[in-house]
Amino acid sequence: MSDRKLPRLLQTPAVLLLLIWMLIPLGMTLYFSFIRYVLNNLRRPEWTSPSLSNWRGFGNYEFVLKSKDFVLAIQNSLFIVCSILFLTVILGILIAVLINKAFPGQGIVRVLLISPFFVMPAVNAVLWINMILDPVLGLQGIAVAGVNDMLDSLRQMPVLGSFFSLWPEFEPISFRATQTSAIAVIMMVTWQWTPFAVLIFMTSLQSEDQQQKEAAVLDGAGTWSQFRFLTLPHLGRPIAIVVMIQAIFHLSLYAEIEIVSRGNGNKNLPYLIGEFANNNIGAASATGIFAVILANIVAIFLLRMVGKTLME
Amino acid sequence: MGRIVLDQVSKRFGDVEVIPPLDLTIEDGEFAVFVGPSGCGKSTLLRMIAGLENLTSGGIAIDGMDMTEVPPSKRGLAMVFQSYALYPHMTVRKNIGFPLRMEKMDQAEIDKRVETAARSLNLMDYLDRKPGQLSGGQRQRVAIGRAIVRDPSAFLFDEPLSNLDAALRVGMRLEISEMHERMQTTMIYVTHDQVEAMTMADKIVVLQAGVIEQVGSPLDLYHKPQNVFVAGFIGSPKMNLFTGPEAEKHGAHTIGIRPEHTEVSMTAGQWEGRVGVAEHLGSDTFIHVHDTGLADMVTVRITGDISVKHGDTIYLTPQANQIHKFGAQGLRIE
Repeated sequence: MSDRKLPRLLQTPAVLLLLIWMLIPLGMTLYFSFIRYVLNNLRRPEWTSPSLSNWRGFGNYEFVLKSKDFVLAIQNSLFIVCSILFLTVILGILIAVLINKAFPGQGIVRVLLISPFFVMPAVNAVLWINMILDPVLGLQGIAVAGVNDMLDSLRQMPVLGSFFSLWPEFEPISFRATQTSAIAVIMMVTWQWTPFAVLIFMTSLQSEDQQQKEAAVLDGAGTWSQFRFLTLPHLGRPIAIVVMIQAIFHLSLYAEIEIVSRGNGNKNLPYLIGEFANNNIGAASATGIFAVILANIVAIFLLRMVGKTLME
Repeated sequence: MGRIVLDQVSKRFGDVEVIPPLDLTIEDGEFAVFVGPSGCGKSTLLRMIAGLENLTSGGIAIDGMDMTEVPPSKRGLAMVFQSYALYPHMTVRKNIGFPLRMEKMDQAEIDKRVETAARSLNLMDYLDRKPGQLSGGQRQRVAIGRAIVRDPSAFLFDEPLSNLDAALRVGMRLEISEMHERMQTTMIYVTHDQVEAMTMADKIVVLQAGVIEQVGSPLDLYHKPQNVFVAGFIGSPKMNLFTGPEAEKHGAHTIGIRPEHTEVSMTAGQWEGRVGVAEHLGSDTFIHVHDTGLADMVTVRITGDISVKHGDTIYLTPQANQIHKFGAQGLRIE
């Protein structure tokens, strides 16, 4: 017994610090979520300071559940996170396999590939929405206008002109609109996070056993079979890691959503919390608890998946 | 079937000529062993036969068909790698069945063949395990199983036993030899271990720096080494090689005498020396003799035990009919 006491005693400060670090914010969020607490209310000034006498029970939760944006925020959170995960993993694997072979300029290409990861999220969003996706001034607008101009001149051609006049004018897409702003967020975050996936997959590919590949070649496996039966299983673990880390990061996306559409038609849970927190701290805290629950559900799924690949 | 003919095969990596043009024929059903020191090109040669390395020039024919440009999987050869190269994410059953699956064979037929192979290799209890859960010897057997199911015209082994411990190595050596007896398929086996070469081969190919030094049966090589290199390489402990006046007495540039062909006496003999280290193996004793005036050290091998101490004077007499003579070019003189 006595030889266990000392190590435990020495661990205590670290454990206590961690507990304080986690439990106090969580406890305060829980507390605020059960009371009426607003930042500014002229008629009921007593609500502006947190106090147990303002107890509201599950009232804040009901309020959040009934608010029109809540379901949209949950759907959007999941839609954005899942789309980004899907795209970054696919693109990451493709690019990693592509640049795994030796070629001249490999070092420069790798550095360039990693660079999007070093751009700040807000800068990334501004660049994409203004310079690339803007329907008039952005790359998209210019490209669509160019195609339309080209079609116009083709319509002037003597014989084939009548064929091209059957073609419609192309319309640029506005990515700030309600229906498309989530797509814009997915595009820009995918662009930024694909390098992360590439980096992880590339290091994993370099540790792949070459004799296994040679054995597979002798066994009659073509390029696709080698990829399917050797490379992909080999990448199982890094894929799980990429998915887990990115899921944690992207559940809390904020800057991109703020910049693309100010949450117009495209909210996720953190954005909803931010909106409530403008005044209604009680509702914001209740949303925060919902976000914790959602994150835990996602984490359980992910841990299962990671655990499964680690067991194999 | 599996008669493999190499015709003026050569290999360069950039400016380095690893294998100068070389001719070699391996007959159907033969157990051929490529042996040589590390870096002699024996593995490269095997990989060229398998198709994993391109030829710089020359041609390879299997059963009379030119295979030089044929992709590895179409050559009808199966290879067992030093690191086993098992697929870590597949069970033993899937590993063994993989080549058949790649041939798009019917699943029932695959299962049947895998079971037959597994039974002959004593792997029935391990079919649903993954390679990571097997011991080194079992992994090696799985690798052999994966080669057997393809029913190849020849097996290629690339130092398959060098990752195993000494006891297992002896066991697997026997198993592979028995497998060859049973199947009568051509086998090419690469090793740097001359004991493996001597015990398993029908035909040994001794390589040095990409050049074939000698081709022959194990006992051919032992009794009639063609040159100084083969004489020194084949046999354990190594043959003693002398140059100088003692060799000139026999009308040669170099003479060689094997440790086991030297008589030892404590009282009288042809050469006098001082005992250095004596290695007692029980069945044999190796004595390293210094100060003979012939070479730095002469090794002799005596059956049974003898009590000699460090620094004792000892007399050696070579068996006259067992002296190998080599000319100035290192070639054998009869």
